[in-house]
Amino acid sequence: MLLLQLIINGIQVGALYGLTAVGFSLIFGATKIFHFAHGASFAISAYIFYYLYAVLLVWWPISILASCFVVVAFGVALDRYVYGPIQSTDGSFFTIFVGSFGVAVVVQNLIGTVFGRGFISVPSALSKSVELAPGLYVAPAAGIAVVTAVACFVGLQLFLGRTNIGIALRALSESSALVRTFGLNPKAISTCAFALGSLLVVPAAVLTSMTSGLNAAIGGRVMLISVAATIVGGVGSLRGAACAGLLLGIAENLALWRFDPQWSEAVMFLILFAFIVLRPSGFFGRVATS
Amino acid sequence: MIAYLVNLATLVCINAILAVTLNFIMGYAGIFSLAHAVFFGVGAYVAAFIALQWTDSLLLQLPAAMLVAGLISVALALPALRVRGDYFVAASLGFQVLAATVFSEWKSVTGGIGGLVGIPPASIGGHAFTDPVEFLALAGVTLVLVVVLTATIVRSSFGRSLKAIRDSESAALAFGKNVALIKTLSVFYSTAICAVAGVLYADYLSFINVESFTIDASTLFMAMVIVGGIGTVWGPVVGAVLLTLLPAALTYLPFLPRTEIGSVQQMIYGLAMVLLMIFKPDGLMGIKRGEA
Repeated sequence: MLLLQLIINGIQVGALYGLTAVGFSLIFGATKIFHFAHGASFAISAYIFYYLYAVLLVWWPISILASCFVVVAFGVALDRYVYGPIQSTDGSFFTIFVGSFGVAVVVQNLIGTVFGRGFISVPSALSKSVELAPGLYVAPAAGIAVVTAVACFVGLQLFLGRTNIGIALRALSESSALVRTFGLNPKAISTCAFALGSLLVVPAAVLTSMTSGLNAAIGGRVMLISVAATIVGGVGSLRGAACAGLLLGIAENLALWRFDPQWSEAVMFLILFAFIVLRPSGFFGRVATS
Repeated sequence: MIAYLVNLATLVCINAILAVTLNFIMGYAGIFSLAHAVFFGVGAYVAAFIALQWTDSLLLQLPAAMLVAGLISVALALPALRVRGDYFVAASLGFQVLAATVFSEWKSVTGGIGGLVGIPPASIGGHAFTDPVEFLALAGVTLVLVVVLTATIVRSSFGRSLKAIRDSESAALAFGKNVALIKTLSVFYSTAICAVAGVLYADYLSFINVESFTIDASTLFMAMVIVGGIGTVWGPVVGAVLLTLLPAALTYLPFLPRTEIGSVQQMIYGLAMVLLMIFKPDGLMGIKRGEA
C-alpha cells in the first residue's frame, strides 16, 4: 500500500514537473536558449499567486490570471532585454548561460528579501487528502494536477500542429535562416516561444503552492528538474520532456520507500548523471549535440 | 582592525585559489563546472578528518586531500568527455546537489549539518600556524605558487592543446591530440589544487560545515571568474578580491539590515553577471578574445 501511495504521489508531482519541463523544452527547442531562469519564472508565478490569493484574498481565477500575466511579461522581457542583446553581440552558449543564471540568482534573492526565506503554503481544501482505500490517501489536487497537465499538453500539441504560430515555432526550431527566407520574423516567433513556455509554468506553480508549499529557493530546484527532464527526455522532444518529468517525479517518490527524504533529490540527479554519461541524447533524442 | 583585515586577506587568498583553478578548466578547457565547491569541500573535509583523527601536519593533509579530490574528479571528467556546453553544466549541477547531500548526511565523517568543530591549526615540521598573520603568509605564498604554476601550464604545450580543444575539439583530435587524456588531466589538476584551498580553509577557520560547499558557493566561484574575466591570468584574482570584499563593504551601509547582506550580495553579483554578459562578455580584465 505504501508503494501504491508513493506511486500516486509520484504521478502527482511528476505531472507538474513534466509540464514545467515542457515549457523549458519548448523555449530551448525553438530558440536554442538554455533558459536557466525558467525556475525563476516558476517562483515568480507561485509567489504572485500566493500573495494575491492567500494574503490579499483575491478571488482565485483573478489571482491565476494575474500570475499568468506577470510571468509572461517576465519571459518576454528577458527575451527582449537580456537574451536579445546578448545574442546580437555574442551568441555563445556561455554568455547566454551566465546571463540567464544571473537573472535566476537575482530573482531568487529578491523573492527571499520580499517574502522571506521561510516555508509558505497556500491553504486550500484541494490539498486535503481523502482516504480512498485503507492506508491510501489521495488529495483532489492530485487529480487536478494530472488532468491539467494532460489538458495543457494536448492543447499545446494542437496549437503547435494546427495554428500558424505553432507551425512557425516548430519551423524556428529547425532553421532560423529558413524562417527568415519565408518572410517571418524569428524574433517575434522567439518572443512567442518565451510567452508560451513561461505560461506553462503557471498551473504547476499554483498547484505546487497548494500541495507541497514554496520557499525562496524553489526556483533553483525547478530549474534543475526542468533541465534534468529535458535532457533525460531528449532535447527538442516535448513528449520526451513530459515523460521524463513524470519519471523523475515517480523516481523521487519511490526513493522514499528505501531512503530518507533528504536523498530524493540525489536520486533524481543520479538518473540525470547516468543519462548524460550513458545516453546523452535521452530517450527520444535525435542526435547528441556536441 | 588589523585582525579584521588579516582575516579578510586570508579569505581573499583562499577564494582566489579557487577562482584561479576554476578558471583553469572554464577558461582554457571550456569545461563550465558548477561543482567546484564539491572539491573545495572534499579538501576541507579530508583535512579536517585527518587533523581530528591523526595529525595536524599540513604536509600529510595536502597530498591526501589532493589525491582524494583528484580521484573524485573522475565523476566530473566522465560527463566532460561525453558532452559539452549546457549539458555539462547540467551534469555538474547534478553532481553538486548529490555531493551536498553526501556532505550533510555522511555524519560519521562530515559531522552532518552541524559540521566539524575544533579542527587544530595546521603545522609544518612541528611549527603550528596559530598566528593569523603567519597563516596569511602561508595562504599568500600558496596563492602565488598556484598562480605561477597555472600560468606556466597554460603557456606550455599542454596549455596550448587545452585551448585547441576548447576552440575546436574535432580539430584538436585531427591533429593527433589525445583529447580524453588532456581533459581528464586538466580536471584532475584543477580539482586537486582546489582541494588545497579546502585544506587551508578548514585549518584556518577550524570549523566547517556543508553551508560553505553548496551550490551557492559554486555559483559564487563561477561569478568570481566571470566578473574578473574568464581565460585571463589576473581576472579570477581580481574577481575573487572584489566578490570577497563585497559583503564586508556592504556592512558599512547603515540602512541595510544585517540579515539581508547575504542576499543583497548575491543580487549584486547576479546583476553584475547579467550586465557584463550584455555589455562586456569578457569580464573586467578581459581582452578581446580572437576567433574563439
